[in-house]
Amino acid sequence: MNTVIIINLNGNAFHLEEPGFQSLRAYLERAQAQLKDNPDKTEIMADLEQAIADKCGRFLRPHKNVLSAAEIDEVLKEMGPVQSEGAADAGAGASNPPNAESKPGGAAGAAPKRLYQIREGAIISGVCAGLAAYLNVDVTIVRIAFVLLTLLTTGIWILVYLVMMLVVPYANTGEEHAAAAGAPFNAQEVIDRAKKHYAEFKDSKEWRRHWRQQRREWRRRWHENAYWWGHNLQRNVHQFSTGAGYGGHLGATLLIPVLAVFNAILFCVWVAAIVSLATTGAIFGWVIGGSIPLWVSILILMFFYSMISRPLRHARRAIYWNTSGYNYFWFAAWYEIFSTAVLILICWFAYTHVPEVHDFFQHFVHNLTTIWNNIVESFHHTAAHKPDAGIDSRLPAAAAAASTSAFLAMRT
Amino acid sequence: MTADQKFNPIRKGLLEFLILQIISADKVYVADMMKRLQETDFATQEGTLYPLLSKMRREEYVDYEWQESESGPPRKYYKLTAKGKSQLAEFKDYWAYLNTTIHQLGR
Repeated sequence: MNTVIIINLNGNAFHLEEPGFQSLRAYLERAQAQLKDNPDKTEIMADLEQAIADKCGRFLRPHKNVLSAAEIDEVLKEMGPVQSEGAADAGAGASNPPNAESKPGGAAGAAPKRLYQIREGAIISGVCAGLAAYLNVDVTIVRIAFVLLTLLTTGIWILVYLVMMLVVPYANTGEEHAAAAGAPFNAQEVIDRAKKHYAEFKDSKEWRRHWRQQRREWRRRWHENAYWWGHNLQRNVHQFSTGAGYGGHLGATLLIPVLAVFNAILFCVWVAAIVSLATTGAIFGWVIGGSIPLWVSILILMFFYSMISRPLRHARRAIYWNTSGYNYFWFAAWYEIFSTAVLILICWFAYTHVPEVHDFFQHFVHNLTTIWNNIVESFHHTAAHKPDAGIDSRLPAAAAAASTSAFLAMRT
Repeated sequence: MTADQKFNPIRKGLLEFLILQIISADKVYVADMMKRLQETDFATQEGTLYPLLSKMRREEYVDYEWQESESGPPRKYYKLTAKGKSQLAEFKDYWAYLNTTIHQLGR
């Protein structure tokens, strides 16, 4: 059973299933955006609506008066995407550059491009495939980037994936597939999707059953743990009161949140440095000397980050072992949760109080494209110099080795 | 890029003249035009055709009149204007010229 919506197409009433209505509305909105500057916009829109109405007519029978979503998709596919000035213009400007620089607002550029999840060929949900289509890069590169970011952020990046999975709409119709590769999505739609997904998610029976089971399991573990904690504490107190002294132990425990805050700040500075390097070519205004390509400098930054965070990590680990013993896992988990919370708090504070950061998040996707283009460009830069300089060709290999060791160092 | 993809811009550029050619024979409406083009390499869709026709009408190569149909709403029948006719003749001459140029260059 599906909700039915009655629409008026150039003076004719049609009954559409709701998903069909959504795709039709999206199609007509995109057509309007395309024809924005066309003096005959109203007339063309009326022609298009009439053509859609004619096509819809063939699916209707005396005892079938509702158009299904699939039928609407078929009709829209037959209609084809609306091109602003007809075919002549499209031929002249065959390679449409991404409308990045023309309109900073980017609400309705030359080719409406939207972020979708693409199910076809997806490994998990299609977030990477959709992002790849949006950024116009190979899906493998996006997947590798996601895996690397997950490793770098010790798993926090997974949250970004999960949020995108729930928030970013699926490309269902042919039209949407075209738009996936072809203006940033509007915020209201994203919020609506998120609400809808959340409602579906909450209402599903399996999820509720699963949640009950999960709670039972947690409760059980909590009881077990409480036992162990009590047991250990008794033993520790006994040990320390007779041995090294309890003061040092307590101090070390208090150090954990301090380290977590420090770690979160370090991470923020590191990310900000990379972003500033990739967008302006300088780290907070400080220009790196010489002709080091961007991607090499990013690898160097990653290396420095891992060097600075390594002693921190060792200190953390030492504290875990000293304080917790059996409960290593719980301390580690508590630490990660705390540092993530601090990270989010810093981001939120910066977002609300620092205008630059606010702008950065506002133009996040656009920035990402700029950064990506800069990095790709820096690769081309080295490639172009390869034949005449022998050193250059060896540099990427050395940098790649350095980066691998940096990643390994971060994981240990 | 395949040869077919390389021909794409050529086909797109020619579409306007093919439409002039189709309309030159008799008054036609959009669904007719699409049917005629469907069998050729120049198959196109309403999304492309309507904006193109409106541009051609603005440039005064074609004009349309409303005609009642037995089945359904009145339709727009397109016909050539004098300007459109001379444009078509010009195009045909140019096409013949291109043809001879291509053949002669190969010799």
